[in-house]
Amino acid sequence: MSDVLQSLFVLGTSHHATPLDVRERFALTQPQALELQQRLHAHEGIRECLVLNTCNRLEIYGLADRIERVDEIRELFCEKQNVPIELFQQYAYSHNNLEALQHVLEVSTGLDSQMVGETEILGQLKQAYTKARDAKCTGNVLNRLFEKSFQAAKAARSQTGITRGQISIGNVAVDLASRIFGQLSKSRVLLLGSGEVGEKTAQALKSRGADDIAVSSRTFENAHKLAHELGGSAIDFEDFKAQLEHFDIVICSTAAPGTILDRSIIAQSMKRRPERPCFLIDLALPRDIDPAVEDIENVYLYNLDDLSTIANENLTARKAEIDNAREILKKHAWNLWLQLRRRELMRRS
Amino acid sequence: MLNEIAMTDKNAFAVAAAIYGGAFAFGLVALLMRRVYPRAVMFALLVGGFLIQTLGLNLRGAEIKACPLGNIFEVAQFIAWSLVLLFFIIGPAFRLRLLGFFTAGLAALLAAGVFAVPAWDRAYPPGIFGGNPWIELHAALAIFSYGVFAILSLVSIMFLIQQHGLKKKQFKGLYQYLPSVQQLDLMAKRLLITGVIVLSASLIFGSIFWVNNHELVPVFKLTATCLIWLGYLTVFVLRIQKKLVTRRHAIATIILFVLAIASLWPVQSARDSEPQTTGAPLRVER
Repeated sequence: MSDVLQSLFVLGTSHHATPLDVRERFALTQPQALELQQRLHAHEGIRECLVLNTCNRLEIYGLADRIERVDEIRELFCEKQNVPIELFQQYAYSHNNLEALQHVLEVSTGLDSQMVGETEILGQLKQAYTKARDAKCTGNVLNRLFEKSFQAAKAARSQTGITRGQISIGNVAVDLASRIFGQLSKSRVLLLGSGEVGEKTAQALKSRGADDIAVSSRTFENAHKLAHELGGSAIDFEDFKAQLEHFDIVICSTAAPGTILDRSIIAQSMKRRPERPCFLIDLALPRDIDPAVEDIENVYLYNLDDLSTIANENLTARKAEIDNAREILKKHAWNLWLQLRRRELMRRS
Repeated sequence: MLNEIAMTDKNAFAVAAAIYGGAFAFGLVALLMRRVYPRAVMFALLVGGFLIQTLGLNLRGAEIKACPLGNIFEVAQFIAWSLVLLFFIIGPAFRLRLLGFFTAGLAALLAAGVFAVPAWDRAYPPGIFGGNPWIELHAALAIFSYGVFAILSLVSIMFLIQQHGLKKKQFKGLYQYLPSVQQLDLMAKRLLITGVIVLSASLIFGSIFWVNNHELVPVFKLTATCLIWLGYLTVFVLRIQKKLVTRRHAIATIILFVLAIASLWPVQSARDSEPQTTGAPLRVER
């Protein structure tokens, strides 16, 4: 009888080594990914398998009767996707056994992600695992492997600063808004312009409780459309200055050639709301808000550079935690490996 | 029953101060390690310090047969005690992050700081309030209002730190753990209203005594107390009129609290220089 644990593997491509245009050629839709998973499971010698398919990675986890099965899987995938095998081999990586264990633990913790420490990958991995388990494509080994990887990810996140600090512009803005207002449910948001970064920032605020969002743009149709998407209202661009005092958070991302909010406009607005702070987020280039407003009491102005600096510093801090997190995961991987080996020995005896 | 407790009041105050200091150090170490301290541990430490300080105040009160507010040492202990008591009311209700840490720091400073000058625990005759319940209520309320103003100044300090961080675009360290500026500003407003009401009530009760006993109230004490009250009342009116808000409001409340605490020493000195009004023996010097 062969040792099943000698053929635990992961085969895949990710953003680390594969350029976007090549990743596009390997990309699968979700139905295609499920179909591939079923085909692999039906393949002779593949005992368990799981396909993880995200925008940044395509990975096949499996347990085969012998390690050479990985070559067959590679061929099968290339044939299905109609890509040259040389191209796939150029960018793909594969790990076996303990290395495969360490890899899945690092993926689930977000160490292997483009944005180090991001948590979305854990959700995607859990989803892929649930689907594979429901489809009976996973068995004792992969079930244990993935369940333990979720626990290890939680431990690494809580014991290190790998997830500390926000690393996207939208989430950094939300963090700052929380430092100014606390709960965002009572904060009124005004989005000026229909730029993509502004929209994402408004969405991030909405996801954290800011329900009252108004949009104003030179093209009223654009404002109306965006307001509809955000579940808010549209304001005529000519009127927004008169209504400024009613808004706690103002996001500017217009394509105006100069400033649209100067010191006198903001000062006038703040006179009518002296007790309530105002958070101004200037995401436009050139800037929409005169930097001199920063001196006004109870006004907090942040531009794109400020937010990017915070995001980058947080990312650097997270990267500095990678080694600590990796050490924790190594211990988990080793313990898991021993558990799986013990089980295999018991099964044999 | 209090007589059976094998602990002197001074020991109880010292232990309480040490616990408050320990709580502050615990929070500081956690913050230096860039971690948020467990709230339950901070709360438990403050409860421990508070209970022992309550014991100390009870022992002292039993000895002098009155509310222990007869010298600077006792007043500082009572303010620290009021401060922690208010934290127990405000902390869990409003969940202001780091308030426990700052409360522990100020309570430790007040409770331990007065040990530095032994003369501040000067002996005074028992029944200092002449058995008059109004004047005792006046004193207790006045010192309790100082507790409210103490926690107000802490909230104001937290506000200024958070605002400084936001203005200077600082986001690491202490800043990320502090409550929002809006929460702190709102809490400061509520505390100011509470403090002014309590202090005003205290002065009303005190005036009932003063009307019939002009000669027993030192002029300096009366003037200083009224000035502090007027100061807080002015800040209160300006705040209600929205003329003194956020940063300037925070600075004003901190300055007023420093003045209020600073006025305790000359007030006490003025009272000590007054002739003794009772023929009762002095409380034994500790």
